[in-house]
Amino acid sequence: MSPLLARRTASALRYLLLSFAAFLSVFPFFWMVIGATNTTADINKGKVSLGSALWDNVNGFFTAVDVPLILWNSTKIAIFGTALTMLVSSLAGYGFEMFRSKLRERIYTVVLLTLMVPFAAIMIPLFMLMASSGLINTHIAIILPTIASAFIIFYFRQASKAFPRELHDAAKIDGLKEWQIFLFIYVPVMRSTYAAAFVIVFMMNWNNYLWPLIVLQSNETKTITLAIASLSSAYYPDYGTVMIGTILATLPTLFVFFAMQRQFVQGMLGSVK
Amino acid sequence: MEALSLRGIRKSYGSLEVIKGVDLAIEPGEFTVFVGPSGCGKSTLLRMIAGLEDISAGELTIGGARMNDVDPSRRGIAMVFQSYALYPHLTVRQNMGFALRFAGVARAEIERQVMEAARILELEPLLDRKPGQLSGGQRQRVAIGRAIVRHPKVFLFDEPLSNLDAELRVHMRFEIAKLHKKLGTTMIYVTHDQVEAMTLADKIVVMRAGIVEQAGTPRALYADPDNQFVAGFIGSPRMNFLPGEIVAGGGDSMMLGLEGVDAPLPLPELRTALAVGRRLVVGLRPEAFRADGDSVMTLAVEMVEYLGGETLVHGRATAAGDIVTAKAGGNEAWVGREQVRLGFHARDLLLFDGEGQRIR
Repeated sequence: MSPLLARRTASALRYLLLSFAAFLSVFPFFWMVIGATNTTADINKGKVSLGSALWDNVNGFFTAVDVPLILWNSTKIAIFGTALTMLVSSLAGYGFEMFRSKLRERIYTVVLLTLMVPFAAIMIPLFMLMASSGLINTHIAIILPTIASAFIIFYFRQASKAFPRELHDAAKIDGLKEWQIFLFIYVPVMRSTYAAAFVIVFMMNWNNYLWPLIVLQSNETKTITLAIASLSSAYYPDYGTVMIGTILATLPTLFVFFAMQRQFVQGMLGSVK
Repeated sequence: MEALSLRGIRKSYGSLEVIKGVDLAIEPGEFTVFVGPSGCGKSTLLRMIAGLEDISAGELTIGGARMNDVDPSRRGIAMVFQSYALYPHLTVRQNMGFALRFAGVARAEIERQVMEAARILELEPLLDRKPGQLSGGQRQRVAIGRAIVRHPKVFLFDEPLSNLDAELRVHMRFEIAKLHKKLGTTMIYVTHDQVEAMTLADKIVVMRAGIVEQAGTPRALYADPDNQFVAGFIGSPRMNFLPGEIVAGGGDSMMLGLEGVDAPLPLPELRTALAVGRRLVVGLRPEAFRADGDSVMTLAVEMVEYLGGETLVHGRATAAGDIVTAKAGGNEAWVGREQVRLGFHARDLLLFDGEGQRIR
């Protein structure tokens, strides 16, 4: 085989593999959209073309679920949860990187170790804690355990390594207090890092399922993920209706991602150039 | 009264002492340069003056007032950093007025002071740009402008020209010298570049391993260094050091034997009496070699560097000896010669003892 032919064959194989991976990634979305236009019977038969049951499915979903309420609940949790997570975890990440202390690395190691503990292991004690605090069936119970996120603290600490220490020094000489340096210098300089963290945390909060399933017990407090789950666990699930729910649940995260795509990519690469 | 004084200043990180007792007085309007090799503590000392590092022991006064525990913003200092440290999200105008904004100065007054500094530094056309849209030299001027608007008692510069290319560095050095002349403010400048130190300073403070080796005018440090370290650090190319020995005489008429020199040299009068047989380190600057010298050193040439206006001849006086560098005229045909005989005056020799201390 000539070198040129070998290079072209390798290139073709690479593209084939990438196309297959792309197909695997996109197919669930394609299936979701196709499913939303078909009846449950057609979906069960494996039909992969557009159907005519879209409006029936939309009607079915809006009849089965109080859509404005669940969207409001999910939005409220996602927005407040994300804002608080960003504030608390970025402050912690900044603090871990900027301030020297003998205990700093030990405490940080403990924080990182919590990443190794599966949520299922702390679920029951957490539930008991929330129950004893009278927070069961409230959205505060969903938000509180998420705001000190070990992963986001880690992410901000790593990103803060690129934050020029001289900016901190210059701000001190300019007369800023520590909280002012954080608010007026660090936050704007690291805005791409914040954008990337916002996308990640918003998606985590919006898609949160297991913990809300345990804590939220009334229809009035349910989120969209719980509503979809309750529809699909019916005795005869209506998959067309479920697909409408999943599309509705996907749209906000897609919107957030595409709206912040540029900053997200920049943030993943590092805010400070 | 001194503009700034350091008395017994020490800095320790745990058991590691990095500043080991610095005493220094800086007069009002004086341009003082801290110079020394990497890790000598010059930047740490500057940061202690700025209030960015705690002082472990000793006393710092600025304008006569003790400043050890005073907040950096209340010390009456302004600092220009090596990396400029401009706030990247703010325009030049906002960067320059930032400190005044947080000091509660009225908007109109901030604008007036920013415009005044911008005029001095010719920054007016750049006021609405962000730092990312400026060249290195422009950023440095903005950093200086930010310091000017604070009207500090003392300007602190931490290697401000290190990130600039050679041509711009020379230009900015000139600008800083001009600025000092214009403002007349006390300035402390940290650099590892002895050319910057020599050209800018009224007073040079040479540091090594956390102590001040010598402080004085550039001329004093060049012509009359206290020790071998200062003699070697100040001057470019660096001073040559050769082993020597007192071979005859005593009292006022000592004779020095020196590598590469045939006949013993008569030493000028010294305050210290040296016994015959005493071994010394002899310092001779590359530029001290001259055609009309009363003594002659023979060098086996190893390399010749032609620099246009001058030529550097590197050679050895003995096969096992250190390289000796001589600065020679640019027009003579030095290249291609295997051996050169270079004249010098015995009065230009500096003598150091085994510990590197000057013998006078």
